[in-house]
Amino acid sequence: MKGYRLFYFIAEAFRGLRANSIVNLLAVGTISMAMLIVGFFLLVFFNVQNAMNSLGDQLEMSVYLKDGLTNHEKDYLFSRLKAEAGVRKATYLSKAEALTLFKKELKGQETLIQGLGENPLPDSFEISIDHRYANSQRLETLVKKIAAYPGIEDVSYGKQGVEILTGFLKLLMYGGTALAVLLGVSIVFIISNSVRLALYSRGQEIELMQWIGATRHFIQGPFLIEGMMLAMLGSALAIGVLAALFYLLPQEVILFLSRPNGLDFLPPAVITYIIMGGGVLGLIGGFISVNKFLD
Amino acid sequence: MIQLYRISKYYEGVPALREVSFRVNKGEFVFITGPSGAGKTTLLKILFCAELADEGQVIIQGINAFRLTSSNIPYLRRNIGFVFQDYKLLPHKTIFDNIALALKVVGTPYGEIERRVYQVLKKVGMEEKRHLIPPKLSGGEQQKIAVARALVNEPQILLADEPTGNLDPESGKDVFRLFKDINMKGTTVLVATHDWETVRKMQRRIITMAQGRVTDDGSQSPQHTLTTGPLPADLGITTRRPFDTKP
Repeated sequence: MKGYRLFYFIAEAFRGLRANSIVNLLAVGTISMAMLIVGFFLLVFFNVQNAMNSLGDQLEMSVYLKDGLTNHEKDYLFSRLKAEAGVRKATYLSKAEALTLFKKELKGQETLIQGLGENPLPDSFEISIDHRYANSQRLETLVKKIAAYPGIEDVSYGKQGVEILTGFLKLLMYGGTALAVLLGVSIVFIISNSVRLALYSRGQEIELMQWIGATRHFIQGPFLIEGMMLAMLGSALAIGVLAALFYLLPQEVILFLSRPNGLDFLPPAVITYIIMGGGVLGLIGGFISVNKFLD
Repeated sequence: MIQLYRISKYYEGVPALREVSFRVNKGEFVFITGPSGAGKTTLLKILFCAELADEGQVIIQGINAFRLTSSNIPYLRRNIGFVFQDYKLLPHKTIFDNIALALKVVGTPYGEIERRVYQVLKKVGMEEKRHLIPPKLSGGEQQKIAVARALVNEPQILLADEPTGNLDPESGKDVFRLFKDINMKGTTVLVATHDWETVRKMQRRIITMAQGRVTDDGSQSPQHTLTTGPLPADLGITTRRPFDTKP
């Protein structure tokens, strides 16, 4: 496309935006509402995912050993565990060390284990998990694999907590995707209506352009750009409102909601994708209307 | 330049054109006359590819109009200027912008647009009014602007549908004088009108129509007629786009 043609399209698109300013403002407002919901979901999603990553770094797994293993067998198991994908760190905890720790944890209530006589706790390996493995499915696979090693009595980790968080993240992802699709369709519909109004208001001009030899692309161009700009403006406004709400949120609320590292706003790349995605939806909406009008 | 061979057109079964055949050579000035409903406008619309004939063949500048795809029609129209009875000027745009639009759609660079608009406005004697909007002009002046717009791309053919229908006699004469000048410079001109007085005074070829048929062709000669013989399968017709206006 020649530069001056693109310049003409953009200039005409701005003229169209100005000419139907009230309708377009309403469209931008409605789009920004829809995008605000999408942005909010993404914000929650990213923060929950960040929380999962942080939890993943703190997530530990206990691998209990059978009684009677030789030192050589324990060394072999230790090196195998360390080499396992998803295992960040592994430390050996003898049954005596485990009892000492247990006693420390029972501080003041040591009498509870006084009558046991023999140390009932097994030798174990304490494993720190790579945060990328902090979802129930991957952890479960890892547990099954480790449990199948010879000499392993049992493997345990905070299964319930991980399952709850993974489920919540899934719910957010699927629910958010469904909502985004629904809102995306609404945005296409809104843009398509706004562009249709612009087309009707410039019907005389379009008819004349067809008479004087304008190609379909030449007529389409400004309306596609107009649709794209409307949706991008709406998306940018939504991001602005979301950012304002986020940064104006009282500190107490942030502390209440936040994970140990605090709440994060959407990363710049995601903001760019939201605005560009809005632009693509605007293009689709504009394309539908212009094609219907010209056919 | 233009060949029509047994063209017929029906609207809901009612014939608007019936077996119309004639040929217009390059540089000719032709009047198409007849009463309202004779089929003059339909004929011009077919020549402009705004309507498709139901029967027959239309050859414009060697192009078979039936074989043109919709995406190629704009390129044909860039070679044909059209002047409407109701001018079809955009009321909110200046005279300059109205004419410049015809150049913009063909991708003329901005630098050249100003020069060519001024040139064509000078040709129709309206260069002083380029900053005005159409409602500020008289009917005759508006029609001159419409002619200027039709000419700005230097078309080889100029079609005009009742161009003086809304004008007073004096303005009508001005417009016809303009057509005459344009024709003198080599443009083929076809004017549909029922302004008999002007038609007679101009002493040009007159095709008379009634009820969708050509009832008289003022300069009927072998070189103009195409009414006999079988329908030509291909009159050396090409569907390639020989236009040089694609940007």
